Amino acid sequence: MVEPTSAPVERPASRSTGILTRVVRVVGWTSIVVGVLILGFVVQQLFVTTWFSQQHQAALDVEAEEHFVTADVTEVEYVPPPSTTTPGEGTVAPDGTVTPGAGGSSTDEGAPLNPEKRTLLVESSPEDGKAFAVIRIPSIERLEEGWAVVEGVELRNLKNGAGHMPHTPLPGLPGNSVISGHRTTYGAPFHEIGDLVPGDTIEVDTAIGTHTYEVREVIVVRPTELWVTEPREGAWLTLTTCHPKFSARQRLIVFAELVEGPNWEAIYA
Amino acid sequence: MKQWFLELPGPMILKIVVAVVVVIVAIVALFFFYDWIGTNMLDSGGTIG
Repeated sequence: MVEPTSAPVERPASRSTGILTRVVRVVGWTSIVVGVLILGFVVQQLFVTTWFSQQHQAALDVEAEEHFVTADVTEVEYVPPPSTTTPGEGTVAPDGTVTPGAGGSSTDEGAPLNPEKRTLLVESSPEDGKAFAVIRIPSIERLEEGWAVVEGVELRNLKNGAGHMPHTPLPGLPGNSVISGHRTTYGAPFHEIGDLVPGDTIEVDTAIGTHTYEVREVIVVRPTELWVTEPREGAWLTLTTCHPKFSARQRLIVFAELVEGPNWEAIYA
Repeated sequence: MKQWFLELPGPMILKIVVAVVVVIVAIVALFFFYDWIGTNMLDSGGTIG
């Protein structure tokens, strides 16, 4: 008599094999989820923010053009500070208030250096978040066509364009006008300003006209080094952005001096 | 994921609506989280002070 053959019996997986399978599965899924999250971060930071910024730039360009037409431009009397003054004196506030150097226009010996009063063109202060200027750097492809500058350097301002630091003079006025901008996200307007070298030109269009600056120095500082925003003798433009690229650890600073524009003669002649 | 979806309360149409809302909220929250990380670590806008 032949006994019926029984169905093949599967050997139960060993305990260690079951644990290993589970560990591999957990590690695999965790890697996939982390990878997708990191990829999403990169896409959001590099592409989504730039897309939003480009949408805003189109509107800001129009806003800046409107500002050029509607802004109040007035002439104010300007007494250049004597050459012996310390930086910070002889500035014009964005509201047009002229602050001549201490002691008027005379040196310690009392000899007048710049006795004549000059006329300076001053525009009305822009509202916070409003586009009031266009910055153009011919040697940088990204900024060749220009990038709108808004008033303010809060995060919401800089998401739209480069931002002018309040309480510093507007571009084209005596003192130190400071403009900040993103370097890697939100359109990254200042992505390549590290390539600037002394002698490169920076143009800024405002309601007064086009002001041309020439790069004098490019340096790297800590984010807390406020001295870079302090007033300077003459008319200066200071650009600030993050450094190195893809890090907010330091700041790249570009100092540029006014070499041409509607107010150049009043300030330097 | 499938089990989570099936455990959602209500009929199928309600499960779908709840799932879509949860996914949208998660994506928006993730967007703000990414923005926060990016602003603090990657690129703060270059402001001084």
